[in-house]
Amino acid sequence: MRASDYVGHAWANLWKKKLRTVLTTGGVVIGVGSLICMFAFGQGIQRNIKDRFNELELFNYINVTPRSGGGPRSARLRRHARPQPAGDPNESVAVLDDDLLEELTQIEGVEAAYPEMRFPAQIRLGSREQFTLVQVVTSKACGSALVQLRAGRAYASDDANEVMVSDSLLRRLNVTQPEDAVGREIEIRTVVLDFSLQSLARMAFGRGDQRLPVSNRVYSFTIAGVLERMGFGGPLPIRSDAFVPPGAAAGMRKLVLTGVSDLFQLPEETAGYSAVTVKVASTRQVMSVKASLEERGLRTFALMDQLEEMQKGFIIMDMFLLAIGMIGIAVASLGIVNTMVMSILERYREIGVMKAVGATDGDVQRIFLFESGMIGLLGGVFGLALAWAVSFVINQVVNGFAAREGVPFIQYFSFPWWLCLSGIGFSILVSLLAGIYPTRRAARVDPVVALRHD
Amino acid sequence: MDADGFIQIEGLTKVYSSGPVEVVALRDATISIGRGRFVGVTGTSGSGKSTLMNLLGGLDTPSAGRIRVDDRWISDLSKTDLALFRRYTIGMIFQSFNLIPSYSAVENVAFPLLFADVARKERIRRATELLAAVGLEARGHHLPSELSGGEQQRVAVARALVNRPAILLADEPTGNLDSRTSRQIVRMLFDLKTERGLTIVMISHEEALLREFADELIRLQDGAVLSHETLRDRP
Repeated sequence: MRASDYVGHAWANLWKKKLRTVLTTGGVVIGVGSLICMFAFGQGIQRNIKDRFNELELFNYINVTPRSGGGPRSARLRRHARPQPAGDPNESVAVLDDDLLEELTQIEGVEAAYPEMRFPAQIRLGSREQFTLVQVVTSKACGSALVQLRAGRAYASDDANEVMVSDSLLRRLNVTQPEDAVGREIEIRTVVLDFSLQSLARMAFGRGDQRLPVSNRVYSFTIAGVLERMGFGGPLPIRSDAFVPPGAAAGMRKLVLTGVSDLFQLPEETAGYSAVTVKVASTRQVMSVKASLEERGLRTFALMDQLEEMQKGFIIMDMFLLAIGMIGIAVASLGIVNTMVMSILERYREIGVMKAVGATDGDVQRIFLFESGMIGLLGGVFGLALAWAVSFVINQVVNGFAAREGVPFIQYFSFPWWLCLSGIGFSILVSLLAGIYPTRRAARVDPVVALRHD
Repeated sequence: MDADGFIQIEGLTKVYSSGPVEVVALRDATISIGRGRFVGVTGTSGSGKSTLMNLLGGLDTPSAGRIRVDDRWISDLSKTDLALFRRYTIGMIFQSFNLIPSYSAVENVAFPLLFADVARKERIRRATELLAAVGLEARGHHLPSELSGGEQQRVAVARALVNRPAILLADEPTGNLDSRTSRQIVRMLFDLKTERGLTIVMISHEEALLREFADELIRLQDGAVLSHETLRDRP
C-alpha cells in the first residue's frame, strides 16, 4: 500500500466521523497547544534575558577586585602591579587606582575601565527630592558608546563639576522633558559617617535618627546630559541614576557602598577603588582579557563564567514547563487511545474484509496508525496555532497593563522554528505511541470472527 | 473428481476448542477440484461448509491435513504469505455482501487493489470496468445502502474479481436474495467462470440451483464428505 493511499484512507475515515475527530483532535490541540505555549514562554524568557544581557552588553563586563585585602586602605598601602604568589600572607596586591585603570585600558580588547564606586545621596532639583545611588564614572567612559544620551552631552572632563542623570530619575523629579533639565543646577546631598564630638553628643542625647553617627554634605552640580536609560550595569546590575566624574567625586565626602569595607573607611581614605569594571569590546575577547587581568594579580568575575550555569537553569526551567505541559498530553493520548479503540470496534467487520481481500497484519496496523498519526498532525498544527493565539492575547493584555506603567513592549513568548516543528513532531509521535495498542489489536483481529461480526 | 486437481485437499480436519470442549467442524476431508470447474458444496447447517471455505481461502488454518493450490501447499504458508495468497489467488464473496458502507460501489470494488500497490487511476479504471461486466456501470457512485441486495452482491462479485484471481470462493452468495435474483447471480458466476476460466467453489443450501449450474456437487454431513458427484464433464 502506498503512503499516499494510507494518508487518503486515514483522512477519509477521520472525515467520516467528524464530531469524534474534532473532539479527539481538540484534546490533542489543547495538550500540544499548552505544551508549546509553556515552551514558548520559557524560550521567550530566555531570549529576553539573553537579549537584555547582550543589549546591555553584560557579558562584556568583568568585575575586577584585588586578589586579597582590597579596599582603599590596602590599595594605598601596597602598590604593585605584577603577579604575586597566591596564599602568601604578606602578599602584595595590585592596587586599583587611576594608574592601573590606565594600564588596564591598554590591554587588547578592553574598551573601557572605570571604578566601581557608588554612594547614596539625596538629589534635589528645584523643589523635588529623590534618594538614589550616585556612581563615579570617568568622562572617557561616559563619552563612549556605553552611555545612550537622550539630551545634552557627557561631562567635559574628570574634574568637571557636572553630573549626568537618567531620564527615570528626572521623571521622579517631575521633569518630563529631558532637554529642560540640561544646564540646570542640581544638588547632591551625601551621607557621611561622623564621629566628631558634636556627633557623639548628638548620639548620646538625641532622638530617632539623630542617634546615628552620620551627617550630610551638600554639593552643587550642573546637569550636563540625560541618559536614555541606565547604561552602566556592570556584571552586577545595580542601578545608578546619577553619574559624577572621579575628579569631582574625590572632593566629595560620601559613604561609599561598593563593599562592606567601605563602611569602615575613614573620610581621608577615599583615594583608590575597591573594585573596577572592565568593559571588553567583544564577548569573544572576554576570556583572554580575564586571563590578562588575573596575570596582574587581580580577582575577576564575569557573567560569561555564569553562562553555563544560566543555561543549566534554563534547562531545568524547560523541564519543569515540559512536566506541566505533559499532563495535557497524557490526557490527550488517552483520548486518542479511546477513539482508536472505538474506531476499531466499529470497523471490526471492515478489518475482516481487509484481511479477506489480502491485507497483511502490517497493512491493517499501518492503516490505523496513519489515522492516529493524522490526529497527531492535525492536533500539532492546530495546537501550534492555539499556542500562538493564546500567547498573542497574553502579550497584548500584559503589555497593555505594563504600558500604563511606562514599561516598553516585551514579547514574552518566542516561537523559534525548531519549537514549531518539534511541537508538531512531538504531537505526531505521541499520537503514534497512543495508537500502538489499538492498532496492534486491529492487526490481530481474526478475519473469520470479524466477517461474522454484526 | 479430478485426480490431478488444481485444488487438492488431503485429510483436512478442523477442531475448535472452547475450554475443555472440542468441536470437530471438519473431519478428514479429502477433495480434488480441477482447474476451471464450478463446484457446489451443500449440506445442512453445521456440516462444515463454511469451515471448508475459510480453510480454502486461507482465512483459517487446519488442525490436521493440508491443502494444495496449483503447486503451493497453502497450509504451510506464513501469515503474510497467506495474506498474499488471498490477495492474488483468491476472490471471496459472502452471504452478507460485506461491502464497506461508507464507500461507493466503485470504491468497494477498487478496495483490494489498495493492498496490491495499484495506482489510484488504475484502480478506478479496473473497478469501473468490472462494474460494467456485472451490469452496474450506472451505479458506480452509489453507496451500498442505495443498492438492492442483488446489486450489492454484484458489487461484491466485482470486488472479488478485481485482482484477477484464479479461484472464486462464494459462501452462500444467494442466502440473502430472492429466488429470481439468486438465479441471476449464480448465472452471472457461471458466465464469469466460462469467460475467465475461473475455478469456483460455491456453498449453497439450494441444491437445485447448484445442480443447474455447477459441474460438481459435494455434500457434507457432520464435517465429513458424504459425496462428491460430477454433474457435468469437461467441455
